[in-house]
Amino acid sequence: MTAAVQTREGALILDSHKLSYHFDRVQAWEAGERVAPVSVDMSLTRACGAMCSFCYAMMQESQARSSIKTAHALNLLDDFAEIGVRSVSLVSDGESTLSKAYVPFIQHAASLGIDVGNATNAWEWEPEKIEQVLPYLTWIRFTVAAGRPESYASIMYKGPEHTEVFDRAVRHIKYAVDLKKRNRLPVTLGIQMVLMPHLKDEIIPFAQLGLDLGVDYAVIKHCSDDEQHTLGIDYSQYEGLHGLLTQAESMSNEQTKVIVKWSKIRDGDKPTYKRFYGPQFLLQISGSGLVAPSGMFFNARYSKLHIGNFTEERFKDIWESERYWRAMNYLASPAFDAQTMMGTLPIQHYVSVALDNHAKGIQRMQPGVDPKPLHVNFL
Amino acid sequence: MGGNLHFANFDTPTPGSAWMMLSEDERLSRLKDVLTKGMSSVANLIVITSAKDDGQVIVSLQEQLPADKRGTVLLDLEAFLKETVDQGLVVWLDGLGDKNSLRNLRGIEVKA
Repeated sequence: MTAAVQTREGALILDSHKLSYHFDRVQAWEAGERVAPVSVDMSLTRACGAMCSFCYAMMQESQARSSIKTAHALNLLDDFAEIGVRSVSLVSDGESTLSKAYVPFIQHAASLGIDVGNATNAWEWEPEKIEQVLPYLTWIRFTVAAGRPESYASIMYKGPEHTEVFDRAVRHIKYAVDLKKRNRLPVTLGIQMVLMPHLKDEIIPFAQLGLDLGVDYAVIKHCSDDEQHTLGIDYSQYEGLHGLLTQAESMSNEQTKVIVKWSKIRDGDKPTYKRFYGPQFLLQISGSGLVAPSGMFFNARYSKLHIGNFTEERFKDIWESERYWRAMNYLASPAFDAQTMMGTLPIQHYVSVALDNHAKGIQRMQPGVDPKPLHVNFL
Repeated sequence: MGGNLHFANFDTPTPGSAWMMLSEDERLSRLKDVLTKGMSSVANLIVITSAKDDGQVIVSLQEQLPADKRGTVLLDLEAFLKETVDQGLVVWLDGLGDKNSLRNLRGIEVKA
């Protein structure tokens, strides 16, 4: 269940979940109580300067975008603290570093005792901004599509000649690595490759880049696709990459662990669960302000599962509304089939598998044991 | 076990033979008829654009609804169609493509 990788700073779980460390919420959920999410994954904007070929945000356009002001973002955090949200990851469907709310959001979350993580391409993450946020972050994960500049620029930007974006990212990542060392910051730094099967030649260069940068980990994950196969991912092709992925993992050294998300690659487009319980514990919010149970449902197509917009009403009121619980209960009812009605491998995949196994009695969840893993409040 | 966790092993209903044997035009006509008669309050708001034999009903909205309203309207519609026409019907709104002009250079088209 806990596929932890031992790092110099503790056990790192990237290919499983940490829900057992929030057993109080699981028990309350099982008793039919309305539980607050342990974690919220969100973005402060839907804007992004990159054009990654694997980007799920291309399939996440809702009906209208709202601009998230700093006041909205800080109110949101106050509501999170009040209802008991324990962590926020700035990932979701936009590049949060572009938002004016980015720095105050992270600093305010820290003041409220809410852990914050962030995924970014690091292009606009310059030294001044790094200095302002790194001491307050639990982790930061850089999207690095490939280890070679030309490949990186082709996958994440306009073409192989635009290697300046690779150079910027590397410069900023190195700055963060140095700052962490210099100030002994308790932040985990990682890079992530979203592996599309045709990018197999990028696996080893990516792992090597992780070692060269001196980050704490370099993780390789699957690519999600929607149920209409918009991105055209053929999950059967991942099997042929096992040798290369194993080779990449073997490159791990004392400083940098190369990690493959084997579980998600193995599960592909065939989840074991029909009901989707995960969003009750790990909620997603769009950079448009839209509150929906999962990023899988941000697109207008899934408007029946759109609950509200936190720029138009307080999140606490949304969470307490019958709308919120109607959407969550719909996903837990026979009306919803996760195997056919949503995209593949959502961020809630690991917790959904665990909760489904728990509900079916296949594998009952047990309270987590000490020592706690790193980033325990991020599911 | 509280909540509705006892549904974990349930199969999702699929359309019955009566629905599947209808032509697309007949399915659309049937839906429009029950919508006009049974949900008159929103009949002018909702346009049913497709009714597939696998139970997927695609609709569009005549006016944009805020996020705190559209979920309720569409879940009510789905519940009504399940109750009056076939338990296997599932409502979706027309999908939207990405509005990010840079990412659109990729040429990815969101499928309906």
